[in-house]
Amino acid sequence: MIASLRAELLRLRRWPVTWVLCGTWLVLNLAFGYLFNYLSYRSRDGSGFAENITDAATARVLLRHLMPDQAPITLVAGLPMFGGALLLILGAITVGSGYGWGTWKTIFTTRPRRHTALGGTMAALGIVLAGLIAVTFVLDLIASFTVAAAESQPTTWPSLADSAQGFGAALLISAMWMAAGVLLGTLTRGPALAVGLGLVWSLVVENLLRGVAGLLGPVANVTDVLPGTAAGSLAGAVGALTQSDPNGTPGVTAVIGGTAATILLGAYLVLFLAGSLTLTARRDVTT
Amino acid sequence: METAIEVRDLVVVRGKREVLHGISALIPRGSVTGLLGPSGSGKTTLMRAIVGVQIVKSGTVTVLGDPAGTARLRRRVGYLTQAPSVYADLTVRENARYFASLYGLGAVEADRAVVDVGLGDAARQLVGTLSEGQRSRASLACALVSNPDVLILDEPTVGQDPVLRDELWARFNALAAQGSTLLVSSHVMDEAGRCGQLLLIREGRLIAEDTPDGIRAAAGVQDLDEAFLRLIRAQDRTATTADGGR
Ligand SMILES: Nc1ncnc2c1ncn2[C@@H]1O[C@H](COP(=O)(O)OP(=O)(O)OP(=O)(O)O)[C@@H](O)[C@H]1O
Ligand SMILES: [Mg+2]
Repeated sequence: MIASLRAELLRLRRWPVTWVLCGTWLVLNLAFGYLFNYLSYRSRDGSGFAENITDAATARVLLRHLMPDQAPITLVAGLPMFGGALLLILGAITVGSGYGWGTWKTIFTTRPRRHTALGGTMAALGIVLAGLIAVTFVLDLIASFTVAAAESQPTTWPSLADSAQGFGAALLISAMWMAAGVLLGTLTRGPALAVGLGLVWSLVVENLLRGVAGLLGPVANVTDVLPGTAAGSLAGAVGALTQSDPNGTPGVTAVIGGTAATILLGAYLVLFLAGSLTLTARRDVTT
Repeated sequence: METAIEVRDLVVVRGKREVLHGISALIPRGSVTGLLGPSGSGKTTLMRAIVGVQIVKSGTVTVLGDPAGTARLRRRVGYLTQAPSVYADLTVRENARYFASLYGLGAVEADRAVVDVGLGDAARQLVGTLSEGQRSRASLACALVSNPDVLILDEPTVGQDPVLRDELWARFNALAAQGSTLLVSSHVMDEAGRCGQLLLIREGRLIAEDTPDGIRAAAGVQDLDEAFLRLIRAQDRTATTADGGR
C-alpha cells in the first residue's frame, strides 16, 4: 500500500490533469469568492455595472463576507457544486484512465492484492485533496486580508474553531464528490463516460429533481438525501449563503441540518469508497 | 533442468468457446522460451493463465512452485500485455518511475530500464507522442523495471526494426543467463532461433515443444519457418486420417 501510494502520488504530481483541475478550482474560488463580489461592492457608488446594489445595507453584507473571519465559509461555499464537480472529474479520470490505458491490468497482476493498488490511489487522492483545501484556505485568507486592508476594515482572524469547522466541512464535501468520481471511474472502466455521467448527475439531474421536489412533495423525501443536497446543506449549515439569496452560491441549501448532512456525507463517502474497492476486487481483469 | 512454470491439462473457455484444449508444457528456469503460433491460436490466453488473470475451466498452472496468480507470486512475475500498458499523458521516464515505485524501487532502476529498451533519448517525451514501436518499448521498460524472476512478454518485439529486435533478444538472453525465466510470444519465426526452447501452439493445442534444433531435426529442414509449416501440415494430415477412420 505504501508503495502504491508513493507511485500514485508520483503520477498525480507529474500529471497535467491534476494541476489543471486544481488550478481551475483555485481560480474559480478566488474569482467567485472574492474578485467578483469585491468588484460589485466597489461599483456601488455610481460607476455602474451592478445596479442592483443600490442599497447600502446590501453593500455592507457583501463587504462583511469578504472579511478574513469569513474565509472558512468562503472556502466551503463553492464546493457543493463547482468545486465538487471538478474534484469528481479528478477522481473519475485518475481511476478511469488506468482502465483506458490498460495500466490497471498490469498493476493488478503485480500487486499482492488489488485492494492495495486502488487503496493507494485513494490515499494519494486524499493527500492531494487535503493539500488543495489547505492552499485554498490560505489563498482565501490572503485575498480577504487584502480586501480588508484596501477598505480599511478591521482585520480579525477567523477563530480556530471556525477554521477547523470550515476546513473539515470542505474536506468532507470534496472527498465525497471525489469518491463519487472514483466509483464512476471504476464502474465504467474509463474516464470519458465516468466524467460525463458524474457531471450530468451533479450539475443537472440533482437540480432538476430538487426543482420537481418543490412541486411534488413525495419526491422531496428522495432529494433530501441526495449527495448534492447533503453537500449543499453542510455548506449552508457552516454559514454559506444559500442559492436563494441574491449573494448566495449555487448549490448551497438549507434543506437538512448540519449534523444530518455530515452523517449523510460520511455515509456516501464510505459507500463510494467501499463500493469501488469491492467492485475492483471481485471483477475479472478484462483482456 | 529445474522447472519454473508447469502447465498441466489446461482448458480455458473464453466467451462461449473453448480456446485452449488441454495444454501441458514445462518451462525451464533460467531460459528464454518462445511461444509461437498463428493469430488467434491462444498465445495471449495461455500467458494470462500463467500470470493468473485468466479464469480456467480445468487443469493447473504452477509458477515457481505456487499456483498461478497466488498473492506472493505477483511480486516475482512481470507481465507485458500485448497492448501497451503505459500512461500516455506521462513521459517515458515518469511511467518507468511510476512502475518502479510500485515495487519500492527508485529513479535509478527506472532510468536503467528505459535505457535498456533503447529509449534513453526519448525518456523525457510524453508517451502519447511516441511512435507505435517506441510506445511498446516504453511498456516493456515498465515490465522489466522490477527485474522479476519470471517475465511473461506478449509480443514484445512487434513493430521494432531488425537492429532493435536483435538488441532486445540479446537483452532477454542476458536476463535468462542471470537466472530469470522468460516466456516470449511472437509471430515472427526468425526470432524463434533465439530461444532456448519453443512451444508451438495452434488452435488451442500444443503441437511442438522442443529446442530449435530439435524442431529442425524432427521436421528434417534447417529453416524454422519451413519446419513449422511441415509440423502443421503433418498435424493436419493426422487429423484428417483420424476423421476418415471414424
Ligand atoms: N474476451 C474474449 N471472449 C471471447 N473470445 C475470446 C476473448 N478473448 C480471446 N478470445 C478468443 O480466444 C482465441 C485465442 O485468443 P488469443 O488472444 O489468446 O490469441 P493469440 O494467439 O494471442 O492471437 P494474436 O497473435 O492475434 O495475439 C481467439 O480465437 C479469440 O477470438
Ligand atoms: Mg495475443
